[in-house]
Amino acid sequence: MIRNYLKTAWRNIVGNKFYAAINVAGLTFGLVIGLFMLLWVQDELSFDTFNKKGPEIYRIGIIGGTDVSKQIFTSIIAPVVPAAKNELPEVIDGVRILNVGSAPFKYKEKNFIEEHAAFADPSYFTVFDFPLVNGDKMKPFQDNNSVVITQTMSKKYFGNEDPIGKMVILGLNESLKVTGVMKDYPANSSIKFDFLLPISRYNQLAYLNRNVNYDGKTRVLSMDADWVNFSFETYLRVKPNTDVEQLTKKLRSIHERNRPEDAPVPYLAQPLYQMHLYKADGSNGGIETVRTFAIVAILILVIACINYVNLSTARSMLRAKEVSMRKIIGAGKLQLFMQFMIETTLLFTIATVLAIALMYALMPIYNNFSGKQLQVSAGNYQVWTYIVITLVGTLAASSIYPAVLLSSFEPLKALKGKVAAGIGNVAFRKVLVVVQFTVSIVLIIGTIIIGRQLNYIQKKDLGYDKENVFSLNMRDIKQHYDAFKNDLLKQPGIISITRAGGDIVNNNGWTGDNDWDGKPAKSNLLFHPIAADKDFMAFFKLKMKEGSVFTGAVADTTHFILNEAAVDAMGLKNPIGKNIRIQKMRGTITGVVKNFHYASMRKKIEPAVIYYRPEDCYKVYIKTTGTDAPKAIAAVQKSWKQYNNDTPFSYTFLDDSFNQLYKTEQRTGALFNVFSVIAIVISCLGLFGLATYSAQVKTREIGIRKVLGSSVTGIIRLLATEFVLLIVIAIFIATPVAWYAMDKWLQDYAYKTSISIWIFLLAGGSATFLALATISVQSLKAALANPVKSLRSE
Amino acid sequence: MTIQEAPMIKITNLEKFYRTEEVETIALNKLSIEIATGEFVAIMGPSGCGKSTLLNILGMLDDPDAGSYVFNDIEVAHFTERKRADLRKHNIGFVFQSFNLIDELTVFENVELPLIYTGVAASERVKRVEEVLDKMQIMHRRNHYPQQLSGGQQQRVAIARAVVNKPKLILADEPTGNLDSSNGNDVMELLTDLNEQGTTIIMVTHSEHDARYSHRIIRLLDGQSVMENIMV
Repeated sequence: MIRNYLKTAWRNIVGNKFYAAINVAGLTFGLVIGLFMLLWVQDELSFDTFNKKGPEIYRIGIIGGTDVSKQIFTSIIAPVVPAAKNELPEVIDGVRILNVGSAPFKYKEKNFIEEHAAFADPSYFTVFDFPLVNGDKMKPFQDNNSVVITQTMSKKYFGNEDPIGKMVILGLNESLKVTGVMKDYPANSSIKFDFLLPISRYNQLAYLNRNVNYDGKTRVLSMDADWVNFSFETYLRVKPNTDVEQLTKKLRSIHERNRPEDAPVPYLAQPLYQMHLYKADGSNGGIETVRTFAIVAILILVIACINYVNLSTARSMLRAKEVSMRKIIGAGKLQLFMQFMIETTLLFTIATVLAIALMYALMPIYNNFSGKQLQVSAGNYQVWTYIVITLVGTLAASSIYPAVLLSSFEPLKALKGKVAAGIGNVAFRKVLVVVQFTVSIVLIIGTIIIGRQLNYIQKKDLGYDKENVFSLNMRDIKQHYDAFKNDLLKQPGIISITRAGGDIVNNNGWTGDNDWDGKPAKSNLLFHPIAADKDFMAFFKLKMKEGSVFTGAVADTTHFILNEAAVDAMGLKNPIGKNIRIQKMRGTITGVVKNFHYASMRKKIEPAVIYYRPEDCYKVYIKTTGTDAPKAIAAVQKSWKQYNNDTPFSYTFLDDSFNQLYKTEQRTGALFNVFSVIAIVISCLGLFGLATYSAQVKTREIGIRKVLGSSVTGIIRLLATEFVLLIVIAIFIATPVAWYAMDKWLQDYAYKTSISIWIFLLAGGSATFLALATISVQSLKAALANPVKSLRSE
Repeated sequence: MTIQEAPMIKITNLEKFYRTEEVETIALNKLSIEIATGEFVAIMGPSGCGKSTLLNILGMLDDPDAGSYVFNDIEVAHFTERKRADLRKHNIGFVFQSFNLIDELTVFENVELPLIYTGVAASERVKRVEEVLDKMQIMHRRNHYPQQLSGGQQQRVAIARAVVNKPKLILADEPTGNLDSSNGNDVMELLTDLNEQGTTIIMVTHSEHDARYSHRIIRLLDGQSVMENIMV
């Protein structure tokens, strides 16, 4: 029986290659895109879940600042961990991580700048599931001069040699002995440090061996007693069923008891598993995108299923004779149902095989595109669960309806061709087409708006000039800045040079230690402090609203320039001349700079203070002419070698850092382009099927009309009108849906493009155009057919 | 050939209407007919007289609106679709004017199909299909598809398919309508042979020539039997 079904099914596919190809193509496209997206979703949701103790691990954060400057910090002070372990019975263990940032490492002749080095408590290896392939996880560091590295780093530095006991040099002369090698991090780990140094080493260097604190005040003897240094990413492992809200309250009271002047300082505890997709305060982060992608993936699969259902029911009238004969001969409903299920399954299997082959082939491109390292390995049961559920769901959705429809034909009517007109509930299939086009149009609108927002960000006047500027960390050039600068200014291609104590594209620095004339008692305003040189303002073409810029005079060390946002937040009417203190620096406000975007446009421009401190500037900015940029870089590299010896040279163009800032948006935009193209292609395939069906059903009507003198265009109009009507309905449904969704998406941006009516008109217009183009093929064929033939076939 | 006492088919006051929103057409009007086991009956009449409707009801493809239909002592007029289908597949074979072979199946597979649906074992199926193909002299075409055959050959395959399950009754709806006279005669000979071997045959036809192969002609007009001719 099954063999007979398979045989018929196979011959049906082979005998109708064109339709089979359309069906397989639609399903394959749908499956490839749907599966890719769902794998992406799966990967996003799987972040950090390899940590078995995850449900007991929380990242601790605090809320700082008031009003506009309110910020969530996920780096806190070091004493929290020992205090919590001592005082709170529910706390089992804690890990502190101090990110070193980029650091030069050296082994023999090999020099590298490493971006992922950190100090950490030894519990890093027991709280998290980061297994050591070499070394003792209970005692990963033998002493303060130990380092644990990943397998990849071991390969990079030592090749195939045994890394244990090898000495690497950090910076100029810090010798570190490799005492452990850890397995490389899973791609879905939020925490990824390649070099781990004992945090006790930091304690030794920054506290025990120092006579003064960083701010020159009283000396603090240990990091465990330093309640000011908010630098430690902190994780606590707690007993199961711990009341986390209570825990944060206790942490807060510990903090406020030890440092009453910080009060109020609300604490946050975020589950490890949520770190990747939610912000530290529990609000939505990446989960929004994950949800969007999951919905879009399912919609694309639905479109593909609808496409199949439409095409196969459209073609079912041609199968009516066969079905009737089978029934007359003795086939039962169930047998016929099974036959059509098997047919769909066969076709679906072809599509699945093609889809999986395509996915394998496209995986590298997709990974590059999406910034993932997805792979479908045999052992990854989570991935396979997603794949199997997707396949079974799609198969069920596309097979059952046609099978029920076909198997319930009444043989007599079917044999006489009477089923044709009433087949498969035409209204139902029209609804399906409307659904398909609604989804497609929503995606087109989404694509246009995301594109416009990206364009808006690219084109928006940032308030500073980043054209042809590249920057680098000076390291040892810092002490020889003037010589370095004078030398380079003589080089062709270099226009001007300045230096600053921070990143102008994406400034992450904060300070809450401040005061000014008339500061309200309860205010805890945070500023972005930007250390600058005298030519900083001119270099970036920052515009002053009032007051004056730095001149390089000694007096400038007591001068402060605020941005408009700062002035507003401070509530100052006439800021010039007012006294201000930022940390230990005291002076007066001498200027107000117009707002400029020194962070992502997702956020409103926040208060910033620019102060004159050449010695705090560690970053140099170099402006070149566009064409001579390579020469300029070569010249800078030559100078670099002179001051920094073997330390690898690296630089970044501000345009690149700027793009990096919006990488997620750019990815989302690119992916949405693909989504909407695929959605519209599959929808058009489905429409093509419906047009074919309609032309077939109306063969006789068309024949009669032609005999009576209708023109070809008249016939095309007859066939096209009903479809255009469906598209128009889809446009009307899609418009509010897309408007709502995209308005919500744009709310993430403080600075955003507008949603204007032409976008909807464009999306609707292009969908209509594509649909018409699709229909016209079939309509034209029907209209040009010889009416004698079509009438005779009745 | 013996005609038994108890009729195979006994219909009494059979009625069938076709309704559209405004018009009701009477297809069968209180029709009563008896057909004995082993008979070869031709049904004739002008277009629209109810011939095909009658054949469909006799073949249990359709149910009557009123009246009684007793098939082999079983009242089937109000059987459910499923029960009718079950009775049909074991007792009745169909031959159509337009052959109605399944294009995707070969000659052999087309003939095999009824055996598959009645659950005959594979080895038995091969035997029986070959036997019947042999009898229809179409064995050499067993692996061809319907489109590769002439009309006459296609109708032989259709008859082979109708008889492979050894039905007690064959219903033929203008079996020679799409054939030339020579092929038509061959088909009529085949049906006659089958009848002589004991199969009851009811045939709808427009052709007086074909009707002469039967034992009895029932003439219908406006859903009623107007005349019966017993053939000599």
